[in-house]
Amino acid sequence: MGTFIQLVVDGLSTGSIYAALALAIVLVNQATGLINFAQGGMAVLSAYTAYAFLQLGLPLIVAILVAVVISFLMGAVIERLLVRRFEGGDPDTAVVVTIGLLTLVTGISAVLWGYNNLAFPSLFPLTSVEILGAVVSVRSLATTVTIVAIMVVLQVLFLRTKLGLALRAVADNPGSAAFSGLPVGRLLMVGWGLAAVLGAIAGVLVAPQLTLTPGMLDTALVYALAAVILGGLSSPIGCVVAASAIGVLENLVAVYVPLIGHDLKIAVPFVLIFVILVIRPQGLFGRKVVVRV
Amino acid sequence: MTLLELTGVTASYGPVQVLDGVELTVPEGGSVGILGANGAGKTTTLRAISGTVRTGGRIKFEGRDIRGLRPDQVAARGVAHVPEGRGTLGQLSVRENLLVGAYLRKDRGAISRDIDYCLDLFPQLQDRVGSRAASLSGGEQQMLAVARAFMAKPKLLLLDEASLGLAPSTSKAVYEAIRRLRLESGIAMVVVEQNANLAFSLVDTATVLETGRNVLTGSSAELKGMDEIRRAYLGG
Amino acid sequence: MPAMSSVLANKSTRVILIAVVAIALVVAPLILPAFTNQTLVRIGVYAVAVLGLNIVMGYTGQVNLGQIFFVGLGAYVTAYGVNHDWNIILVFVAACVVPGLVGLLVALAAARLGGLAIAMVTIALPIVGVPLAKRLDEFTGGSQGTSARFTDAPDWSGLYNDQWQFYIVLLVTAAAFLLGRSLVRGKYGRAFGVVRENEAVAASMGISPYRTKVLAFTVASIFGGASGFLYLAAVQYTSPETLSFGHSISLVAAMVIGGAGSIAGALIGGAYYVFVPQLTNAIDPNLTTISQGAILLVVLFLLPQGLVSLPRVVRRLFRRRTSRSSLPGNPPQNSPVHQPATDAAREGLEKTERQDRS
Repeated sequence: MGTFIQLVVDGLSTGSIYAALALAIVLVNQATGLINFAQGGMAVLSAYTAYAFLQLGLPLIVAILVAVVISFLMGAVIERLLVRRFEGGDPDTAVVVTIGLLTLVTGISAVLWGYNNLAFPSLFPLTSVEILGAVVSVRSLATTVTIVAIMVVLQVLFLRTKLGLALRAVADNPGSAAFSGLPVGRLLMVGWGLAAVLGAIAGVLVAPQLTLTPGMLDTALVYALAAVILGGLSSPIGCVVAASAIGVLENLVAVYVPLIGHDLKIAVPFVLIFVILVIRPQGLFGRKVVVRV
Repeated sequence: MTLLELTGVTASYGPVQVLDGVELTVPEGGSVGILGANGAGKTTTLRAISGTVRTGGRIKFEGRDIRGLRPDQVAARGVAHVPEGRGTLGQLSVRENLLVGAYLRKDRGAISRDIDYCLDLFPQLQDRVGSRAASLSGGEQQMLAVARAFMAKPKLLLLDEASLGLAPSTSKAVYEAIRRLRLESGIAMVVVEQNANLAFSLVDTATVLETGRNVLTGSSAELKGMDEIRRAYLGG
Repeated sequence: MPAMSSVLANKSTRVILIAVVAIALVVAPLILPAFTNQTLVRIGVYAVAVLGLNIVMGYTGQVNLGQIFFVGLGAYVTAYGVNHDWNIILVFVAACVVPGLVGLLVALAAARLGGLAIAMVTIALPIVGVPLAKRLDEFTGGSQGTSARFTDAPDWSGLYNDQWQFYIVLLVTAAAFLLGRSLVRGKYGRAFGVVRENEAVAASMGISPYRTKVLAFTVASIFGGASGFLYLAAVQYTSPETLSFGHSISLVAAMVIGGAGSIAGALIGGAYYVFVPQLTNAIDPNLTTISQGAILLVVLFLLPQGLVSLPRVVRRLFRRRTSRSSLPGNPPQNSPVHQPATDAAREGLEKTERQDRS
């Protein structure tokens, strides 16, 4: 039982990382209709940025905050200079653009910091606490709590502020929103910036565990995409639920199903998707997965 | 005083020239209709004003050139466009749509008063304030689109085919509300409308377009009487 | 340039040109140094994989980020068959059929999602594939990989190994390109195009978008498998690294840079896949990824149709500048997308020379 609780808490922690990335993907998709395959790569670059400021002697939390601000700008600039040109065009071309972006940002990380694993310090103590007789790591708990808190903040931003209203209006119908005087271009930049911030937070939270490499989040991106497919592109809450479920499930399966084990646990969400598609072609929650065609 | 003045406005979609020297003058507080057959360039004229199509010629609003501005910049000058096909924000609630309409305004107190005014103008929306716009009926969505445009407190309202796809009684109700809006607020309007009776109920003067050119301009009273206009452009 | 296109348009000169290129390709390995032969062989290997990717992505518009998985699968099947002394023809058939079946299964599920979801599912293939290959060490040799020698030149031929391999790869690659060309120019090719442009229109024409996508994906997987067979013929060794995520992304980049929706573009893509990493590795291995990303983005911005459209774009610029007024009645420049395959073959050779000099 103790192991089980521990696995669930750890699973929720990794699941929350996937959830943050999945939310970033949904955010970009809502705003610009694209799937940003570079979301993970950008997050890695953010984590490296924090690392660089750490090397300059800034305290960890300050380095992270600076990296978060830079990530926001990076997301906004990428939208303006790179993605804007392909918005509203052929979605397949746009996907390839984000693939190119992924390659480019991964390459930038590699050129600046190399391929060797770099240790990144944890914001949270590496101690454990006992909950219901289970030994649970503080880092897992704190990671989950942090990401949940950020999601709450985002939720408030989107539902309770004028900026959030404007972002939702642009996501809904950019042309129509412009008629009310909304600066669509600038809001799209903000949307990409916020997505990059979400990614950055996921990146710095998971970096201590994975250690920094240019491809650190490739796998997490794949999990996040699986969460987006299962949860639905139009449903941020669905994605968070799906991401958490994937995190927990893969952890349990890795330990309790030796046939799959730790090495093949990445297959779990995709086997799940496969089975669901065969049994229920209309998707997980009885509606079609909405992807802009 | 002239509020809006179009001189020799041209526009094309690719190789197809849609506007070929359109002229239009709207006095302050005035209401001008644009009539014509399908493809004559009525909608494109509105789009030229609101900056959603690239144009040549001159478009002056309050004496300043607004040609080439982005749609949101035109909106900021005080022009609200209610596009064909309504253009509500489907995933947002009715109240949120109205708030988006007031995006450029800073006067919070007046905004909530204006929301109440809109709900009074379109009582059908009252029970639906919290519903998503996409769940409204066609008529309710049209009302919401007009109300959202009004929330910007524009000086000029561009109204495109507000009766499209609506039952006759609904169209009538929508136009009655817009007429009341005009009387009570004094907003100037450019109205594109296929239905002649509805159009003439709202405009003082009108111009008839044919393949992107003005072929006839006059007061509603004059135009109403002209049989050939009725037959050719207004469908009886 | 205009003169050249009229030469190409002339049928008999075209036949002669093709014959010359064919003879050149047959003679080339006998006189070229071994390293050049090996390089050309690898271009052939990846051109087949890119061609498959082009069929599903360029022609049918379904973004597939997992093509390398099928290449790796084909290579593993080949190694397994060779090491169990199967007949080589049987090995080749298995190397095509097994990836084809797996591709069919994946497509049956993924094509239901439609749109970009196919990209989101196929990106998982290499990510799942690597640990899977490590795990199934009975078949794959695990992390160590597995080797199989079956392309050493037989004594009767009097050829060196690199020459013998060249002919094997040339044979299969040429067959694959002829097959691919007739596929995309035939009935199915038109169906692919309609589905790419507009699924609703396709359905109204009686073309099932779902079945067409599944077909295109399956064909792509078969080509991937064939490429895997060639990979083993050329490299004689494969490991989980062969099907890594980065390689899969590189294949997509090569396809787009060569030219999506173009047979000749696939050949250029194969050349790109082989040369550019070679070049950047020679300068600084850390530069490989960043240069690939930069090249891909530059091509998307400046040459969205890929390198294959470069002559066309240059010609258009040239014509606009020189003879704008003198040729008013000239037909518009949206000339056929497919250029003769010989064009690209020449381009590939040109690149080889450039590479050798550098």
